[in-house]
Formats: sequence, C-alpha cells, structure tokens
Amino acid sequence: MIPTSAAPVKTAGRQYLVEFSIALGLLVLAVLARPWLLDNTGNETPAVLIKLMPAVPVWLMFWAVWRHYRRIDEFEQLKLLKTIAVAFGVGSCLVVTYSFLEDAGLPPLAITWAWPTLAACWGLTAAIMRIADK
Amino acid sequence: MRNSLPALRAEHGFTQAQLADALNVSRQTVNAIETGRYDPSLPLAFTIAKVFNKQIEEIFSPEA
Repeated sequence: MIPTSAAPVKTAGRQYLVEFSIALGLLVLAVLARPWLLDNTGNETPAVLIKLMPAVPVWLMFWAVWRHYRRIDEFEQLKLLKTIAVAFGVGSCLVVTYSFLEDAGLPPLAITWAWPTLAACWGLTAAIMRIADK
Repeated sequence: MRNSLPALRAEHGFTQAQLADALNVSRQTVNAIETGRYDPSLPLAFTIAKVFNKQIEEIFSPEA
C-alpha cells in the first residue's frame, strides 16, 4: 500500500472556500453597516475610517487567495497564475477600451468598478480554462 | 516528456487518487502528468520515483 502522507492539498479547496466566504461576508457586512455608522457615530470616529472599513475584508480576500496559492500543488499553482495573468490582461484591456469610449461620450465610471471588473474577468477566465482543460 | 506512470500505477494497483495522496498533489495533477499535459518539477519527479522505488530516468524519458 502506498504510504499516505499528510495531505493539505486535499483540503485546500475547502479551506479556501471557508476563508474566502468569511472575507466576502465581512465585506457585505461592512458595506451594509457603513451608512448606518456614518449616520450614528459621533465625531470621535473619523468618517474616513468608517468609509475605509470595507477595504479591510477586501485585503482579507486577497490574503485568502494567497493562502490558497501556498497550499495547492505546483500544477494547480500554474493554472491559478495563468488564470490571473489572462484575467489581468483582459481586465486591463477592458478598462483602457472603456476609457476611450468615455472620450466618445459614454458616462465616466467610478474606480470602484475596477475591482468587480477584474473579479468578473477572473471568474470568466477560470470557467473557460476549466472547460478547455476537460 | 514521456512517462510510464500509468503502467507503473497499474502495476502497483494504485488509483490516481491514492497516488495523488502519496505525492501530496491533487488527482487532477496526477491525471495531467499521466496524459502528458504537464511535466512535473524535478522535486515532484524525485518524489514520484521514490514512491515507485525507481530512478527518474526509468519513469520519465525525453519525447522521441
């Protein structure tokens, strides 16, 4: 029988899902709580800190991705990096394309759209690569 | 790079999942190596050789 080693790779997906979900949940909570906090806290808490609050879970999401990267094996790491590289390329092109469209008269978009755009590109790229891999 | 991993695995009666556990990689990684879609790193190749008690060159060979 093959000697079975302790295999963190096997549980990497589940750990990632848990960590990422917690960070995503905190983000939703922070976004929802922000207006209420801005209205109901006195001058003792600077408004800039409350406005920055959702940034903390965003960094936690990045940390969850990084921890996942460190846990998976070399082939999965390669696939993850390829996906991120393609998503970054497509996302960057989309942003530049839209900036030219703004010159053509389309409404300017807030920078807050950059992150969801990149996340959507990442998700789409991952889905396409998964299908191609099969 | 070609490899004799499927034959070796069958010879030892291992499933891809069992071999993946022994190598601490995912089953998809074992599958990718067996089908030639991925060439393992030198450390992983050494681990594979160790699991089957063989030399690396007995398992992996250059593409003809």
